[in-house]
Amino acid sequence: MIDDIRVGSLIAYCSVKRGNKKTLIFIVFVLSLIFLNLVFLPSMIGGLSGLFTGFMQDYPYGDIVIEPTGDNTYINNADNVLKKVRAVEGVRAATKRVDVGASINHKQKVVGVTITGMLPIEEYDISRYPYIISEGDFLGDLSRDEIIIGAMIAGTGFGSEIYDNLGEVRPGALVDVTYSNGVKRTYKVKGIMEGTFEVVDLNALVHYKEIEDVYGLEGKEATSVVVRVSEQGTETFMKDKIREAGVNEQIFTWADKSESLIRQALQSMGAIDTMSKIVSLIVGAALVLIIIYINVLNRKKEIGILKAVGITPRSIVLSYAFLSTFYVCLGISAGLILYFTLMFYFQANPVVFYETMKISPTIDPVLLIQSIATMLTLSVIAGILPAWSVSKESILKAIWGR
Amino acid sequence: MIIVKDLKRCYGTGSTAVKALKGVSFEINKGEFVAIMGASGSGKTTLLRILALLDDATDGEYTIRGLKVSSLPESERSYYRLTQVGYIFQDYALINEMSAAENVYMLSMMEGRSKKESYATALEALDKVGLKGKHDRVPDELSGGEKQRVAIARAIAKKPDILFADEPCANLDTINSTQVLDVFKELNEKYGQTIVMVTHEPWHTDYVDRVITFKDGSLLSDEKQNQKVKLSSLGYGSCSTVINK
Ligand SMILES: Nc1ncnc2c1ncn2[C@@H]1O[C@H](COP(=O)(O)OP(=O)(O)OP(=O)(O)O)[C@@H](O)[C@H]1O
Ligand SMILES: [Mg+2]
Repeated sequence: MIDDIRVGSLIAYCSVKRGNKKTLIFIVFVLSLIFLNLVFLPSMIGGLSGLFTGFMQDYPYGDIVIEPTGDNTYINNADNVLKKVRAVEGVRAATKRVDVGASINHKQKVVGVTITGMLPIEEYDISRYPYIISEGDFLGDLSRDEIIIGAMIAGTGFGSEIYDNLGEVRPGALVDVTYSNGVKRTYKVKGIMEGTFEVVDLNALVHYKEIEDVYGLEGKEATSVVVRVSEQGTETFMKDKIREAGVNEQIFTWADKSESLIRQALQSMGAIDTMSKIVSLIVGAALVLIIIYINVLNRKKEIGILKAVGITPRSIVLSYAFLSTFYVCLGISAGLILYFTLMFYFQANPVVFYETMKISPTIDPVLLIQSIATMLTLSVIAGILPAWSVSKESILKAIWGR
Repeated sequence: MIIVKDLKRCYGTGSTAVKALKGVSFEINKGEFVAIMGASGSGKTTLLRILALLDDATDGEYTIRGLKVSSLPESERSYYRLTQVGYIFQDYALINEMSAAENVYMLSMMEGRSKKESYATALEALDKVGLKGKHDRVPDELSGGEKQRVAIARAIAKKPDILFADEPCANLDTINSTQVLDVFKELNEKYGQTIVMVTHEPWHTDYVDRVITFKDGSLLSDEKQNQKVKLSSLGYGSCSTVINK
């Protein structure tokens, strides 16, 4: 076996050293593109889901979100929970919200929405809602008969074409809201919010007191308590601390939440990601195989000669495994250079969607390592299979073609 | 040392079958230099490939030094090709990406010798065929005769029991042919190398001890030959001075 390895590497070494350099460069170039194909799109999609998880933090979930246990609609003593949470060291801010279902009616147009009841002043420290008012103003502490509606349902923002909307509602307009319990209210539109994100732009906001009133609550209930921590990255740790502080409701970090949510809301995105990975893998595998196979076929006669003079088939097969591993290593190196060049370019110049959504790709080391391992495995198989099949042929056939 | 009994080789089956060898029997003794002649298609190459274990006989028996090689498993045949049999192809069959020395010493490495030892063996063999100083050249940088001599060096470096050569001079002009034949002559006379060579050229028989002639897959004649070319008279020492000029 050792002799096989020695001779195999000698054959591989000679064929790299004296082989056609143009062919080598071409093979390496194609392999680098295959590698790039394997890692580039997933990185862009990774950047996209990074963007979405950012939205999750900035709007519905904060860093940590506390939700009712079991079948309960509300956290019944939200104020108590808030008190405990705020006392935990490392918590920067916390607030309560109530989400309810409703329909909004404006000049015969009706859309269904989720209306979030919130405490406007507290939101300044919690979310980006107060900062994304594209027209009009955010709610104030005294806002009662006022509502903020998302740009997509107002019919003014990006995406309005896709969804049902109220047809260009502007601040100052009056809208009728019918809550899920049948109660009707009329509100003046105070502002339009635009987060270029469906979870935000398809919703509406009112003061917490409104919901309290409409649903006859006692002022302590909430569907969620949203928490922000002082230091990013400590969410999991803080989650445990909050639990230790005696909060018995369900506690999630934004990551817990967006994982399941992204999986649901971005299922298609995930599917594209997986599909593109599988497709690139298959295409990549086929290309690597074809390249090495052609290479082996070109040297069929050589393989026959080597066998005829007494070189063992095992050394011959090994030499091709070495050779293709070498090609693929060069290809991966070249691919990595291309990849990082592109990554740095796109991180400096993000792709912009909807004018405001900037997508810069994320570099995922796990993905890189996976792809490198995949390519290397492929190269060994691609090197061994064709060489093995040729070396099994009779010497006469390999050398003289019959 | 070689005993061939009723060897047959049939290509293909049914109506398209070609009987290339129709049962030939002969013996070759140690130290003989034998030429195999005969018209095109008479089965010379077919025989040589079978003797060198590159092909299988359809029927018949074949022993080298008492060992029945016709029935060996492939792995042992491979080992036999590597260690006992040298085969020289008409078109040299060198590995183009390897230098003369690499073409030769790869085989000693395969036999398990160290790189240094293998290299020394290769240089010795290349010296023997008059290629001193050209061991670093790749086949493209060598003349046809030189290439064929590298192929000879590759075949003899392992000190094989028998050397087979299938029309080794077919692609060479007279000068290059003479050089190659001189090398064979010297190997045969100085080192007692057994050589079986297929050839078309009548003047080649001046170098050999014995001429076996084939016709249509059967033996036509088997004659002792008076070697007309003597090593002392031509020698390949004088030849190599010609080469090195
Ligand atoms: N692989 C093969 N398949 C079918 N027929 C073959 C094959 N190889 C050789 N033959 C046939 O076998 C016969 C003997 O061929 P062989 O090559 O042994 O002749 P040869 O004496 O070496 O001729 P030449 O002097 O032209 O080299 C020929 O009729 C040839 O056509
Ligand atoms: Mg022939």
